[in-house]
Amino acid sequence: MHEKLEKEALWQFGGYGFLIAVTMVMMFPIYWVVVASTLPQSAIFAGGAGELPRLIPGSNFLANAEALAARPEVDFYRSMLNSLVIAVVYTGLALLFCSMGGFALAKYDFKYKRTLFMGILGTLLLPTNLLVIPLFLLVSNMGLSNSYWAVILPWAAYPLGIFFMKQAMQSIPDSLLEAARMDGASEFQLYYRVVLPSMKSSLAALAVILFLFQWNLFLWPLVVLREGKYTIPVAISKIMSNDMIAYDQLMVASAMAIVPMFVVFILLQRHFVNGILGGAVKE
Amino acid sequence: MTAITLDGLTKSYDATDMDDIPDNEIVAVEDVDLDIEDGEFLVFVGPSGCGKSTTLRCIAGLEDATGGEIRFGERVVNDLRPRDRDVAMVFQNYALYPHMTVRKNISFGLRLSSTLTTPEIDSRVTDVAEMMGIEDLLSKTPDELSGGQQQRVALGRSIVREPGIFLMDEPLSNLDAKLRAEMRTEIQELQNDLGVTTVYVTHDQTEAMAMGDRIAVLNDGLLQQVAPPEELYRSPANEFVAGFIGSPSINFFDVSVDGQTLTDPSGFSYELEAHSVEDDTVRLGIRPEDLTIEEGGDDMTVTVVEKMGNENFIYGTVGDTEVVARTEVTVRPEPGQRVGLSFAESAMYLFESETGAAIKTKTDEIEPQAAQF
Repeated sequence: MHEKLEKEALWQFGGYGFLIAVTMVMMFPIYWVVVASTLPQSAIFAGGAGELPRLIPGSNFLANAEALAARPEVDFYRSMLNSLVIAVVYTGLALLFCSMGGFALAKYDFKYKRTLFMGILGTLLLPTNLLVIPLFLLVSNMGLSNSYWAVILPWAAYPLGIFFMKQAMQSIPDSLLEAARMDGASEFQLYYRVVLPSMKSSLAALAVILFLFQWNLFLWPLVVLREGKYTIPVAISKIMSNDMIAYDQLMVASAMAIVPMFVVFILLQRHFVNGILGGAVKE
Repeated sequence: MTAITLDGLTKSYDATDMDDIPDNEIVAVEDVDLDIEDGEFLVFVGPSGCGKSTTLRCIAGLEDATGGEIRFGERVVNDLRPRDRDVAMVFQNYALYPHMTVRKNISFGLRLSSTLTTPEIDSRVTDVAEMMGIEDLLSKTPDELSGGQQQRVALGRSIVREPGIFLMDEPLSNLDAKLRAEMRTEIQELQNDLGVTTVYVTHDQTEAMAMGDRIAVLNDGLLQQVAPPEELYRSPANEFVAGFIGSPSINFFDVSVDGQTLTDPSGFSYELEAHSVEDDTVRLGIRPEDLTIEEGGDDMTVTVVEKMGNENFIYGTVGDTEVVARTEVTVRPEPGQRVGLSFAESAMYLFESETGAAIKTKTDEIEPQAAQF
């Protein structure tokens, strides 16, 4: 008995050790970005090739941030605001569309439903690069280019989100919807008052996915937005576009760009895990 | 309160996508004619897939009838949405809204579809909660309740709207045996008190017999018989009903008819005295409690004896046919033993071999009540 417990403890110890090691490997680049954002340009690569970079934070963060702010062609803080507005509005709108689409596919029977669903999934196979030209023509014909809507609308019905919500909503028992119908709910009330509230975890998980997707989007905003409307990934690319790359500013921008993602994830973390695992286990 | 009329109700599903389905459609319910009286407790019973739930769902408006007419009183409701039919339904899995408290679950329908003010709704909910004995649970959510409590909430939710018709789809099948028996009585009492027309679906014939004013037996989408429990038991319309109603099931024998003599390949024979049969072969049915076991006889080989405490079930074989007898506790043959079997002609059922239609059913008198409280 004693021996068995010891063996179990050893396994557990080894298991945690492995997980900690993996986490450290994954966290290291992020940590280094944060450290580098506090160092002057000269100190970032002080070690030279073949040596470990400096891993102890310095005190240059504010100076770097000020230097970044002083570059009008980057306009970093404006782009931070742009990104926030776009990502928040996009997340709200995409949640609405994805949940409605998922609900229809999960709980209604209609002709060509399967074909439609396959079509939606099929669009996942198209690389963004392929879509850029047709989408650009579409958006400019609609008079939306160089506006927030140009970045928000094309992906508002996000295929992966529709798929995710469909899978999640299949776990809602039909009888729950029927009970609501008997109680006098219209089909929209059904969606709004019964389905959405019981899908909180999945919606939160999808919110994280959508927010990150939009936050990290690079190519499309680069194509449709012009100076003053840039999002963060575009602004960061502008830091590097001069003859000399200002690594200190680059690191400060990258470190700050991580913060909103971090906040969103921390806020919704509990739901995120529930939502991703939801439906995995038969209750 | 409302009477329900089903007039040639048919429900079929398109099966063009499925292989091996003749006519590309599955008929779930076929040409059902039925009058359910105002205030009646009618139970639909039958094996899985017999169409009982489908019929109920057609009445509820959750399925569209493909043929026939459904009337509530004089009003044809075929084209009405569920919310416009003034019916309430209790589901097998209760279907409580998981994110709402018990109070909100019960009041949801009223809030959506009535013109009552909030205080009026609150007082109706409180009244119903008291009636169902769940007033302490009003602020809890469904996941904090036991199965029995959830069932009470589901019942409360259907009562609170004061509908013209209650529909119940196997509401007790998720409960354990003891609670099921309790809730059975409770639902009956509730229905008696409220006097609302109730249609109840179950696959459990005991539940059907115990609860229904009348029972409608369905098989393969066809209505077999509608009758009060006792009549169903004593005078089944056909072999299926006789076999489905009663536990343990009725014993059947294939017998040949020669004049007044019924014979079976195993050597069994019976002389009819009061009846005559024109067919050459018939199915003979005899209920387990109508069989008498005689020590020293040579009709049946006993295989299993189930001692229930208040009675014994004696299982055995007559030739190749399996037989069960229900006896006094004092009758307890050993497995392997040969025993005699006898029964009275008045307790005998005869069915046509081809169609299964009843030729003769029980004719014995029910004993008048020996003592009264």
